[in-house]
Formats: sequence, structure tokens, C-alpha cells
Amino acid sequence: MGLRDRAAIAGVGYTPFSKDSGVSTLTLAIDAILAALDDAGLAVDDVDALATHRVGDSTPPWVVAPALGVPEVSWYLDQFGGGSVSHAVIGQAAMAVATGVARTVVCYRAINARSEFRMGGTGRGAAPVFDAQYQAPYGYFAPPQQFAMATRAHMIKYGTTHEQLGHIAVGQRANAVKNPRALKRDPITLDDYLASRWIAEPLRLLDCCLETDGACAVVVTSAERARDLATPPVLISGAVWGGGDSFFSGQGGDFTVSEAARIAPRLYAMAGVGPEDIDVAELYDCFTYSVLVQLEDYGFCAKGEGGPYAASGATSLDGPLPVNTHGGFLSEGYVHGINHIAEAVAQLRGTAGDRQVSGAEVALSTAQPGYVLAGTSALILRTDA
Amino acid sequence: MSLAERPRPQVDRDSVPWWEAVRRHELLVQKCGGCGTLRFPPRAICGRCRARESGWVPIEGTGRVASWIVCHQVFMRAFADEVPYAVLHVRLDDAEDLFMYGDLTEGDPAEVTAGMPVEAVFTDVDEDLTLVRWRPR
Ligand SMILES: [Zn+2]
Repeated sequence: MGLRDRAAIAGVGYTPFSKDSGVSTLTLAIDAILAALDDAGLAVDDVDALATHRVGDSTPPWVVAPALGVPEVSWYLDQFGGGSVSHAVIGQAAMAVATGVARTVVCYRAINARSEFRMGGTGRGAAPVFDAQYQAPYGYFAPPQQFAMATRAHMIKYGTTHEQLGHIAVGQRANAVKNPRALKRDPITLDDYLASRWIAEPLRLLDCCLETDGACAVVVTSAERARDLATPPVLISGAVWGGGDSFFSGQGGDFTVSEAARIAPRLYAMAGVGPEDIDVAELYDCFTYSVLVQLEDYGFCAKGEGGPYAASGATSLDGPLPVNTHGGFLSEGYVHGINHIAEAVAQLRGTAGDRQVSGAEVALSTAQPGYVLAGTSALILRTDA
Repeated sequence: MSLAERPRPQVDRDSVPWWEAVRRHELLVQKCGGCGTLRFPPRAICGRCRARESGWVPIEGTGRVASWIVCHQVFMRAFADEVPYAVLHVRLDDAEDLFMYGDLTEGDPAEVTAGMPVEAVFTDVDEDLTLVRWRPR
């Protein structure tokens, strides 16, 4: 079925996360790629392809490749887009190796999202998307505002509460306490959450992800070849991207259903699994609400029940569906999606330390579920049986 | 800070007539020449029937609040003196699936409710620009 298990993740690498890296995104990219190659037991000479995504805020493959000393590039991807395409980059790398177009793809995302290019216009102008003309003049252009609008719609339709959102923030922080890489490791309570200041009602500061400098890289190669490398492969069982409506444009007025609902059936079908088979889920958490809506739209609870489900404790490390085991973008750091993939790999390898979910064999990792630009992307990863 | 310091709309080839009408204090949407669907934002081709013919028709300029936010964080200096301000996602009365965004004017952000009736207000910013905002009705 399609791409199922034909490609694998053979290595992951990180730079440290910070609020000010002090270096260029090129340096971040190279450091993360070298770490990922080292993890895979590969060298720069083995690399023949590079893939990334960016929104005018990072260094493209055709600059990274010569700076890294890649002998020859046989394929590259320089995808325009933000978090919604973060997992599509890995999916396209899987296609490239499955078709033999490329042999070893390094996928990376390198950003100085705090010290240089901040999301939402605080470090640069409003997004150059043409439907912004009907929104930006009214003070509506920043991601927290867009997700606040969707959160409110969900509250109106389903009675979702601030406390339910708070449980997501508090629970993820508890996971970050166990993650040495996380930027935020002090535990928080529901009272701390409710006392945090408004950013855009109904979202508070603690509903929002961190703005982070850092990079992460993932090595994608064929499943067959990955079995001969340094670490046990993590198979890419499902890789899907797409969608339909652009919520951003004002076409399509129901914010309570995300694009995840549209791609989930294709994703599960490709991997040959269902929501009940997922042992750990890394759900794109630019804001608490995006976790809540994806719990519904990837089929872990009924539509409208994301709030009660999150508040029930089901998504904690010892619950039936551990979610954002590293603390997520809310507490580990925000590398625009790829650090979810790296965490899923750690969980499947059994190397996640104090936050390890025992016996994790199948993981879901997802991208921004389509609110800011149309479409989303997601991966189902599994251990090599 | 004034309205003139807000981000200016980046008008495109499809939206020029719409912004010109707003300048005349007229609120228009497109009506597809093929299937009759009312359309906003402006597009050259209908997404339902692919017809290229369309006309501009006036709408009532009334609607109800489908969703809303109250902005506290200052993301852009132009809004520093306006926080807290409300941005509304307005479901227009003219059709089931027509929405517009705009900020609340002549109303208290703390008193916005779901389904609240609102009407369009034309605010002349300067000699080049008029914005469409919303007030309680
Ligand atoms: Zn039509």
C-alpha cells in the first residue's frame, strides 16, 4: 500500500534549543545534520539529498549542501510552508528513496524563531498571503489570534472549557520535567495556567508554544539499507499530506474541524493500523487547542469530546494514549514540527529515558492541522518487527 | 497611533473592485454567473462550477458573530493603543457560508456573545483607504 514500510528513519540529530543561538540558521542546520548522520553511523559522503521547509526564515538545501561538503546532490526539496508541511517533508523524502531517486536524504529544519524571525509579525511583516488583506488591517494576523478564533468556535459549539485546555498545558509540562532537552522544566499547576495572562482571549500565555532557536535533522533511507546501519530502523508506515479548505481565507466557516479529519483515513489506511493501535502520539501543539482538535480528528475520541478526553488524564505518560511525551512545543521547544518526529523515533527506539512509554511500537506524529495555510501532514512510524 | 498606521491591505487583481466599492461605502460580494453562489473573498473563477462569469451584488451588511477573540498582546505597534480589542468572525445574513473578519467598533469587547447581531461600518482611514468594521446591531 503506497509507501508503507518502504523507507525508514535511520538517524536523528539536534542542536541545543535556546532563545538566542548566536549563530546562523546555516550553522544550526549543519550541526543538526552532522548529529543525525553520526546517530545513523553515516558520513557526509553518504548524503545525496537534502530536504527542508521554510517561510523565508532559514537556509535552503542549495546553500547547506556545499557548506556541508556534500559531494553531489541527486535530489532536493525546498518546500515553502510552515508547520503544516513539516511532516510532508519527511513523506516526500520517503518517496524519493522508495523510487530510487535518492539514497540518503537528510531532512532538517533550522530556525532562529526567537532571536531573528519570530512568527506572527513581531520580527517581520505580516504573512505575504493574499487573503491577509481582509484580516491584517483589523489587527488579525498572528498565529495565537487565528488559533484563538478556532478555540472560541469550539467552545461555542461543544462547551469546551479553559480548564480542559489547561490540562493539556499542565500535562505536557509534567512530561518536559523528565526531558533534559526541554526549555521549560518547572512543573505548573492548573492554577498557574489560569493565572497566566491573556494573549488573545480565549488563549493565555501558557496555551502558546515557545519561540525557539534551534535545529533538528532526520536521516531518511530505504528500509532495507537502514537495517544495516548503526541503530535499529524506525519504519515510515504512513506518510500523508494534503487537505482542502483554507480556513485562513474565510472560505469554509467551521473552525471546529481541522484538516486532520480529512487526511486521517488515508493515513491509517496506508499504514494498515487504526487509532486504537497508536501507542504514542506527538500532536502538533503550536497551541493547546491544536492538540484538542487533533485528538478528535485523528479518531481518539468522539467529535466534540477532545476537552473531556484531555482532562481525563488519558493523554498522560501512563494513560492509554501518551501525547507529546517530550513536553511538546509548549515546553520542550518549537522547531516547527520536526522535533515531534525526533521524539517519536526516540520512543520507538526505547531511548526516551524517564519519559519512555514502555513497549511503544507504533507512533503518530502530526503537523499543524491546517488553520493558517490549507492542508496538513502526518506520519505513522513503527518499530521494525 | 491611528488607523492609518495599521497594516495596509495588499490588494490583488481579484480584489480591486471590492476595495473600490468599500471606498464608496458599498459592501459587495461576487455572484457566480454559472451556479449563482455568492462568493467572498473575491476570486476570478467559481470553486464550485468553475464558471468565469460573475457579477458584483450588494449585500445587507448585517450578520451574526460566529466566533471572536479579544486581543491583549501587542503584536504590532499600530495596535498598542487599541488593546484590548475584539476581532469578529462574522457569518453574513445573506448566505449560509459567507464570512468576513473585522474589528469591533462602537461596542465593548467584553460584551461580545456568540450569535450577537452586528452590522458593517465603513471607516474612512485616509484619502486612499476605507475599512469595513462591525458594530452591535
Ligand atoms: Zn459557480
